Amino acid sequence: MRLTLLVTVCTLLISLTSLAQDAGDRLVGVWEPSSGKARVKIEKIGSKYFGKIVWLREPNDPDTGLPKTDKNNPDPALQGAPLRGYRMLKDFEYKGEDEWGSGTIYDPENGSTYDCVIKMKDDNTLDIRGFIGISTFGRTDVWKRLQIPGR
Amino acid sequence: MRWIWILMALMATSILFAQTPDTTATEEEEDWSLYDDLSFADEGAKRFCTSKVTNLSPQKLISVGYDFQGGYDVSAGSFESFAAETATVTASHGLRLQANIPLLSRNDIIVQLNANYAEQRYAYADNQTLTHPLHRWLNDNGLRTMGLGMTVFKPFNEKNFLLVQASGDNNGDFGWADMPSLRNTRYSAAVVYGWKKSDRMMWGLGAARTYRVGEINYVPIVLLNWTSSNGKWGTELLLPARGHLRRTFNSRNLMLFGFELEGNSYRMNNRSDVETLADNIELRRSELRIRLAWERSIKDFIWLSAQAGYRYNWAFEADNFTDNREFFRGFFGDQPYLMENSLTNTFYLLFSVNLVSP
Repeated sequence: MRLTLLVTVCTLLISLTSLAQDAGDRLVGVWEPSSGKARVKIEKIGSKYFGKIVWLREPNDPDTGLPKTDKNNPDPALQGAPLRGYRMLKDFEYKGEDEWGSGTIYDPENGSTYDCVIKMKDDNTLDIRGFIGISTFGRTDVWKRLQIPGR
Repeated sequence: MRWIWILMALMATSILFAQTPDTTATEEEEDWSLYDDLSFADEGAKRFCTSKVTNLSPQKLISVGYDFQGGYDVSAGSFESFAAETATVTASHGLRLQANIPLLSRNDIIVQLNANYAEQRYAYADNQTLTHPLHRWLNDNGLRTMGLGMTVFKPFNEKNFLLVQASGDNNGDFGWADMPSLRNTRYSAAVVYGWKKSDRMMWGLGAARTYRVGEINYVPIVLLNWTSSNGKWGTELLLPARGHLRRTFNSRNLMLFGFELEGNSYRMNNRSDVETLADNIELRRSELRIRLAWERSIKDFIWLSAQAGYRYNWAFEADNFTDNREFFRGFFGDQPYLMENSLTNTFYLLFSVNLVSP
């Protein structure tokens, strides 16, 4: 009897963990920031969420005609890295209640990395708040989910 | 004892479920063309233009600055029984604080709260011999501005937007012990309807009610934020208030050359020990600042701004309000001033440390 109870409790715990993970996985997909200049694919790697640039409205550098690189990166060693494929969202963890935190967002336009919190307003809308230290000193951008045809 | 083994097995299963291999080190080849032709998952979603243009100088969330003007002469005009008097100011200087805090950030509207404080202290060369009230008041109290405002950016679609700014400023020779009456608040507003042609250009036309010329006026506005295709050059114009040519060295280092027209109407209530018959005096102060400004990131989001330029006196006259009522003189009004004052021109420096917006 005691064994049955124990197995039931453990099964329940596993199910709840799995459910929380599933809720967090709603972040996975392709999203468009408000500027429309880029598209970002958010994936789950391990237990965390990462977002990489998969599309650029202007993919080539007008100066060189070559694919854009991360030329504003403060680390000169990274300035040659292609912008398409660049991980601009890093290390997000699902915190519950439609919120992902503990991550950072990188702005390739100025080479700065900000603390960031993501809130899902509805299944197709994210509030992405990048901030400096405390949330008051920040800016929220609204991202919209994109649909990949046939998926 | 068997249940312990079962429990351990279950816990191990749970851990295995929770972890998947970390694949940060390897990157699968993506078919980028998959992402070319996508539509919003939400059928009702719309795209809107943003208020940003590539390589625009960064917006300041918090700014702490110090303004310094070199020596010049102040000529105070005669009025009542007071004779005209010219006196030398060795320097005028003061603190400048600004905060621009976003209140609402959505794709279809951005609302921002603006707060500012600025002071100007006047150091007269020989402050013991001053007889004209204006000199005495400036020497003893200086001038201050405190204001609150709101900026709204409302895009309608990917091309068109409306920019609305409104602010209330309380200006005068008040100190912390004698805060000014809200009745003397001076209100300014501007509305611009604009077109965002590309990520490198936005422009607009509008109108403003402004005190930048020292007294209330209504002027047309032209907005033009533009960046060249190589990103190195650009303009930041909001005419007639300010206009700059921008040279961008990199995303953390830029230079601006241009001008700004600054001004407001200052209530002179703090009489020190000089009384006048006129008791609703407002100093119409306006100056054109022609400048070279260098802005660069000193660490992450902390930027230093250093300006050097020429301060040209636009207006320094004073009015006395009948029944304490503001009036409109405009460019063509012929209402006489209470005092016709002037300043000689001089160089100025302005340094500020800024926390810039993401």
